[in-house]
Amino acid sequence: MIEFNQVSKAFPDGTKAVSGSSFIVDKGEFFVLIGPSGCGKTTTMKMINRLIDASEGTISINGSDIRSKNIHKLRWEIGYVLQQIALFPHMTIAENIAIVPELKGWDKNTVSDRIDELLQMVGLDPATYRDRMPAELSGGQQQRIGVVRALAGDPDILLMDEPFSALDPISRSQLQRDIAKLQQEIQKTIVFVTHDMEEALQLGDRIAVMKEGEIIQIASPSELIANPADEFVASFIGKKTSPWDMTLEAIDASPEAAGPSISRHTTIREAFHIMKEKNVSSLSLDQSDQHVSLEMLTGFVQQFTDHDRGEGVK
Amino acid sequence: MTNIETFFQLLRERSDLLTTALWQHIEMSLISLLIAVFIAVPLGIFLAMYKKGAEPVIGTTAVIQTIPSLALLGFLIPFVGIGTTPAIIALSAYALMPILRNTYTGVKGVDPALAEAARGMGMTYQQQLMKVQLPLAMPTIMAGIRTGMVLIVGTATLAALVGAGGLGDLIMTGLNRSNNYYILMGAIPAALLALLFDAVLRMTEKRSSGSSIRPIFAVVTAAILLVAVPNVYQAFDGRGGGAEEITLAGKLGAEPEIIINMYKLLIEEETNYEVVLEEGLGQTDIVFQALLNEDIDGYFEFTGTAITNLLNEEPVSNDEEEAFIQARDGMFDEYGLVFLEPMAYQNTYALAVTEELQEETGVETISDLTSFEDELTAAFTFEFFDRTSDGYPGIQEVYGLDIADVQTMDPGLRSEALVAGDVDVIDAYSTDSYMIRYNLIALEDDENVFPPFNGAPLLREDVLIDYPELEPILNQLGGMISEEEMMEMNYEVDENDADASAVAENYLVEAGLLPANGE
Repeated sequence: MIEFNQVSKAFPDGTKAVSGSSFIVDKGEFFVLIGPSGCGKTTTMKMINRLIDASEGTISINGSDIRSKNIHKLRWEIGYVLQQIALFPHMTIAENIAIVPELKGWDKNTVSDRIDELLQMVGLDPATYRDRMPAELSGGQQQRIGVVRALAGDPDILLMDEPFSALDPISRSQLQRDIAKLQQEIQKTIVFVTHDMEEALQLGDRIAVMKEGEIIQIASPSELIANPADEFVASFIGKKTSPWDMTLEAIDASPEAAGPSISRHTTIREAFHIMKEKNVSSLSLDQSDQHVSLEMLTGFVQQFTDHDRGEGVK
Repeated sequence: MTNIETFFQLLRERSDLLTTALWQHIEMSLISLLIAVFIAVPLGIFLAMYKKGAEPVIGTTAVIQTIPSLALLGFLIPFVGIGTTPAIIALSAYALMPILRNTYTGVKGVDPALAEAARGMGMTYQQQLMKVQLPLAMPTIMAGIRTGMVLIVGTATLAALVGAGGLGDLIMTGLNRSNNYYILMGAIPAALLALLFDAVLRMTEKRSSGSSIRPIFAVVTAAILLVAVPNVYQAFDGRGGGAEEITLAGKLGAEPEIIINMYKLLIEEETNYEVVLEEGLGQTDIVFQALLNEDIDGYFEFTGTAITNLLNEEPVSNDEEEAFIQARDGMFDEYGLVFLEPMAYQNTYALAVTEELQEETGVETISDLTSFEDELTAAFTFEFFDRTSDGYPGIQEVYGLDIADVQTMDPGLRSEALVAGDVDVIDAYSTDSYMIRYNLIALEDDENVFPPFNGAPLLREDVLIDYPELEPILNQLGGMISEEEMMEMNYEVDENDADASAVAENYLVEAGLLPANGE
């Protein structure tokens, strides 16, 4: 659990990047920070692993102030994935992954096993990839290693700073799907920064929309779409995505399975087609006892059209 | 014999000289490079990390770079004396700029995202440096070290002029004797040495790509051992020698070398002292400074130089005896130095021309030159061009001579320029071997501009107080050696590559000052 309590950050030149933020990220939650550039989302995230120190307020992890811990040990327990990927170009893939485990003083065999385990987890054959250099990998593969490297020391928390924005669209959607799947398996607390609302809606359990250093709204994807706190949030959502392209994750599913099973990463458009093809009115969400109905889909899309019309009238 | 054969014969005969010079060169270069690396690399890292003040610091090293090497060496002598110390300081200073600049650029050029990743992963400052910044900056740093190394190996040839030895000794000897083989014997190994060092560094760099910088440490350790072990060994070995040492020096050239070898032979014959010779110690100012600094106990100097150069006086007379008294008294009053009795011959300045020119124009005296002054080209040494009363300015004033084209040149080169026909007149030292070799004609100084130049030992007073017996021993040479004898001895060394010490011994035995060898 990460708790922000009245946290502000002012830089020496006087600009206030974050002002008076208070929120809680629950254990195992996928928490997305979103907003236009310069809104303070990255600063907020970097204050968690103290790459930037807060000027006011306290941040605590599991109840203890992060400043009370040794800064290096704190960072070993917080995985960090960068937008620039930033694999060390002079080290092999295995050496890159081994950094935090070695800093933590794990013995060689444990580190080696961990490398193999993680590579397999992201679908890269250890025998092939262990001794490659980062430059020999594609962008998508590199960022997979970036994620693996962040996970290597088995941290409780993962910070991801626009991790997929530098990738081509195909690798991006692949990695988005992979990280969502991974999150379900490993149940880490993830703080994810993005400026892409579609990505936020697809991945986030909750989304915090920021503007000019303040958090405007924190809500689940469906709530955010249904009840944007203000015009800014509404326009931010409206501009970024069409409801047809969102995934079923954006919908609050109903309990109990009903109908054929389908992944929750399926877009609403695809779900419609499947229902039409199979001539059913509800679909069960994969690996859960929940379902979505045709009514819920139409209702969800309706919300958007209403909202857009509303915008148009104003 | 072809040129190449001559060169290889010299290499065979002088392999001892070459080995000593090469080793001195390697030692001097390695020490300087290590010092420069140990200063510039940490400083560069520091500047890159803190960013402030980088430009002024790097700028300062760039300014050092612009000081001519010889000037820097000369400038250091009053503070640290002669020998390897000033050489190492100057060489280290020269290598600072490339190493510092490349270290700074290399470390600063590491992608900030990588630095942030390292920080975010919980590396300490030191771990970030050792695992990320330094390995990534290493190719740039190594390029700087390699540049510095080439600079050092090249510039170290000039260190011979302050008594540091090295391959420069051979080059200076070659220049002085106009002997290209000697020059090559110094220059070729120096170039090969630079290539060898470069190859070692390049291999180190290749080996250390990746996360390990261990090969660098291996090479540094090897370099330190290579330099330190012989010195430590020598320090232990040198103990218990016990004999008292007297250090005598001579300027660059065959003549001073022969004369101070005579001093050594005479002193060691009659006392138990050990005489250490610093041969070929550059120009007047360097040797003189070394004497005042007590780096050396005495050297071989001329009366004329003492009067005009060291005392800055006008010669009171052209009489040898009176000139000697003026020099002796002046040096004692001004500097507390004692001039012992001078030898017979004079090695005065002269204006020299080729035989052909004399036949063509019939010049006999300096005055005769004035009628052709508009057609003449002259090559003078810097020293002669600059000396007010007994140099070219003095000639201009007294004779009204104004040569149309005057160039300044290294002493070793001007006789060749004269023979090659590039110039018509040079300044010469009257006993130098090239006078014989090229049949040069010394023009008569009919207005007596050049003061008498008689050579004699110049010692510090305290040396004579500690070792009073030196005075009678060295005074045995007073009034000895004629101009012809000196010229011949110089010719032996310069042209026939005879050992100065052997030539000196030969003369002393013949003059009855040394007993003949047992045979």
